Amino acid sequence: MLIGIVFIISVGSFYLIHLLPGNITTVIEGPGASPANQVKLFKLLGLNRPIYEQYFTWIGNVVHGNLGVSFISQTSVAGTIRAALPIDLEMILLSQIVSFALAIPLAMRAARKPDSWLDRILSAGSFTMLSVPNFIVIVILVLFVSVKLGIAHTGPSSYVPFNQDWIANLESMALPTIALAMGSFVVYFRVLRSDLIATLQEEFITMARSKGISQRRIMWRHAFRPSSVALLGAAGVNIGSLLAGGFIVQYLLNIPGLGYTLIAAINTSDYLLVQGIVLVVSVGVVLINFIFDFVINIVDPRISRE
Amino acid sequence: MSDFDPILLTVNDLATTFQTAGGPLPAVGGVSFDLKRNETIGVVGESGSGKTVLTRTIMGLQQRTNVTVTGSVLLDGHQMVGASEGDKRALWGSEVAMIFQDPMTSLNPVMRVGKQIDESLRVRLGMSKADAKARAIELLELVGIPSPAHRYDAYPGQLSGGMRQRVVIAIALACSPKLLLADEPTTGLDVTIQAQILNLLDDLKERLHMSVILVTHDLGVVATRTSRIIVMYAGRIVEIGSTREVFSAHRMPYTRALLESSPKVSNDPHTRLVTIPGRPPNLLKLTQGCSFAPRCSYATDRCHQERPELQPADEPGHAYACWNPLPKTRKRTVKTT
Amino acid sequence: MSNFSQMFVEEELARVEKPEKREPLGLLFWLCVGWIGLNIIGAIFANFLPLIDPLYQNYNALNAGPSLHHLFGTDDLGRDIFSRVVYGSRISLSAGAGAMLIGFGFGAPLGMLAAYRRGRFDSILTNVMYVFLAFPAIIATIAILSFWTPRSLLKIIIVIGVASIPLVYRVIRTATLNVATKDYIIAAKVQGATDRRILLRELLPNIAPIGISFLLIGVATVIALEGSLAFLGLSVLPPTPSWGNMINESRTILQQNPWLAIFPSLAMCLFLLCLNFIGDRLRHHFDVTEVKL
Repeated sequence: MLIGIVFIISVGSFYLIHLLPGNITTVIEGPGASPANQVKLFKLLGLNRPIYEQYFTWIGNVVHGNLGVSFISQTSVAGTIRAALPIDLEMILLSQIVSFALAIPLAMRAARKPDSWLDRILSAGSFTMLSVPNFIVIVILVLFVSVKLGIAHTGPSSYVPFNQDWIANLESMALPTIALAMGSFVVYFRVLRSDLIATLQEEFITMARSKGISQRRIMWRHAFRPSSVALLGAAGVNIGSLLAGGFIVQYLLNIPGLGYTLIAAINTSDYLLVQGIVLVVSVGVVLINFIFDFVINIVDPRISRE
Repeated sequence: MSDFDPILLTVNDLATTFQTAGGPLPAVGGVSFDLKRNETIGVVGESGSGKTVLTRTIMGLQQRTNVTVTGSVLLDGHQMVGASEGDKRALWGSEVAMIFQDPMTSLNPVMRVGKQIDESLRVRLGMSKADAKARAIELLELVGIPSPAHRYDAYPGQLSGGMRQRVVIAIALACSPKLLLADEPTTGLDVTIQAQILNLLDDLKERLHMSVILVTHDLGVVATRTSRIIVMYAGRIVEIGSTREVFSAHRMPYTRALLESSPKVSNDPHTRLVTIPGRPPNLLKLTQGCSFAPRCSYATDRCHQERPELQPADEPGHAYACWNPLPKTRKRTVKTT
Repeated sequence: MSNFSQMFVEEELARVEKPEKREPLGLLFWLCVGWIGLNIIGAIFANFLPLIDPLYQNYNALNAGPSLHHLFGTDDLGRDIFSRVVYGSRISLSAGAGAMLIGFGFGAPLGMLAAYRRGRFDSILTNVMYVFLAFPAIIATIAILSFWTPRSLLKIIIVIGVASIPLVYRVIRTATLNVATKDYIIAAKVQGATDRRILLRELLPNIAPIGISFLLIGVATVIALEGSLAFLGLSVLPPTPSWGNMINESRTILQQNPWLAIFPSLAMCLFLLCLNFIGDRLRHHFDVTEVKL
């Protein structure tokens, strides 16, 4: 099943590039390229061979870890991706830690006392937040942080890799982390709160209360586990979409992750790089969903039995 | 109260009212009775008579918002009405416990049953992990579950209905409560299992010296297992007395209707089922008179206008609420199975 | 959130949050409807409103703050922000409406049919759709739009619309499945009702509430998506105003002119908030649990 999906995705990413209008050779050579050069390049790229042959050559290379060498930048596609990927991962990791650390306790509090002032503020706030697209969040954040507070944050080389200087690294990741964490928090809080409220109405919770155990224990030991299924589901989808959609944040804040690289690749018509990134990201998303499904099964054995 | 006081529970003028969108709903009104130690009292009535709300209110488990409870519930000296959640929690499990109707929904489906029993032992009695596990397995055996050590690790979904209810009983009894509230414990089970569970409860209450409030709509269940019976209708007690009296010398027509409407094995084949005409009243729109009057074949004008209070019958402890009660007799012809 | 995960969240919430009785729609609901209506009217009739020409560059008033003449101020080319915001709403609203028209126009009937008919048709179609769902649509959208020049609103509508078909399909199909297995549908079938009648009279009214609320959320998502695309230069390009490209333009002049960032953002956020709120309220109002005895 997984293999099937990955296979289709690879075909999709491969074909996608070839579907696009525009002659690759003109792009590479420049608009003034002579027809003779174009033909030579055509043959060199193997574009004259039948499409399925091109596909199999490419896939063969991919399996060996060779995603080709970009014609634009003259560097290995796999290498570029390998450099950019950890940045995405760091961004995702940091933002998810923050959003879970906030969402879980707050949702528990809110669900315990629905319609309390805390609950109302949080629910209204998160509802409002989800109406704010993440690019607006960033623009406004930038407006306040750099303009009003005068803290310099972005420039072309504001990102500092982790192993160089981890403090500067965390500083440069602060804004993207906040932006992504806000979006994720909203999702997790709403889903968890909702599910918790529903779970708390089940009879086994009343039974647990009648055993004389504390409310806190009931929340964490009894209510949380069944409700976490929904949370995990949301997390799987959310993280997958962060991997695919984190480009906007990266682009705005000059963080050279996969998204940023993808945009740059598209702008320079570096089709090999685009192809490689599309493949890696798609496979990544599928893998994430797969992993989360697996974890959900462990948490709630009912699902596998039903 | 000292341990020598024979009365374990005193309920006095207990009333539970829910605030609903349609107005105040008096689910339970003016309920008063005593329960001695080691005594079993049955509470019978149709659906909607307030039986379940009564047990939850006695325990203090009713929902926290939009509900008003007045009156007094004295459990072994502790006042339950108006007590703080913390105070009530100190009593739950160790003084009073409850078992619910549907064992599938009263057990946490994603937690192993053994751990669910452990929890009471460790949290309420402070037992260590190992001790709690050992005791849990003992309890499983006590409630009649075969291969208890093996079943300790089972999930509720892996057990049959009867076994699940046994687990629920084990959990309730884990800390040896003095009072057990059993809310229709067998209604959701197969008929063949029902008797087993009831016998188990009888056995356990003897061994553990518990008082039991047994709520059911099935009269056959209470006939031989209770010493007294409370008959409820529309949230109020309409008759209360010893089991024998209520079955054979009841005064309230509703009690008679209830008794008559349960099908009996001793009837001839093709005997028509007796039903009580009409439906239970809408508690949001209660009339001034007796709540049963619209359906009662003995109703008089006074019954429709004035609500009867409980008045004592001949035998001590027997009371009924009716203006036009059935005449006193030595024996009624309504037989029980 | 400018990604599809919000739709997933709504699916989840719809499953879990079921109020016990009809909740009234409320004053806030109607206020939001009013705001949406106002925006729509503004978008359609912009030409007839007394607005300053959105393309006119007034060199005497560059980066001016809000004033009576320029309600929202001007941008760095002297163009009136207020009128640009009003004209810009055309882009966002058409994108949202158009894309959802395509998405629901194809995805919804297919989803309903598949859920109702089941069988091979359903299995094949659903598997195909699920494969498409696994593929991150955002990337494909960006890739396709960036190579498909020149930029135009229509292209955005088509690409996003088509990309949303699998998601709409899944949502509608799931909703229909929940209803189609209910007893009253089987009862209707047994009574001899034709498929068409069942679909129209029984199924449709029952999935309409959820369908409409997803439609609204979908529109909101598309509008936000257009904003993101504008940042990448994939939406309509200036001087044609759109909320997205205005916010994009504001990035370089944040220090001198915060207004160019603030007003289009406000306009977009308010509109999205109203959409989401209406969708949420509708769902709460119609999707009531069966009364427990």
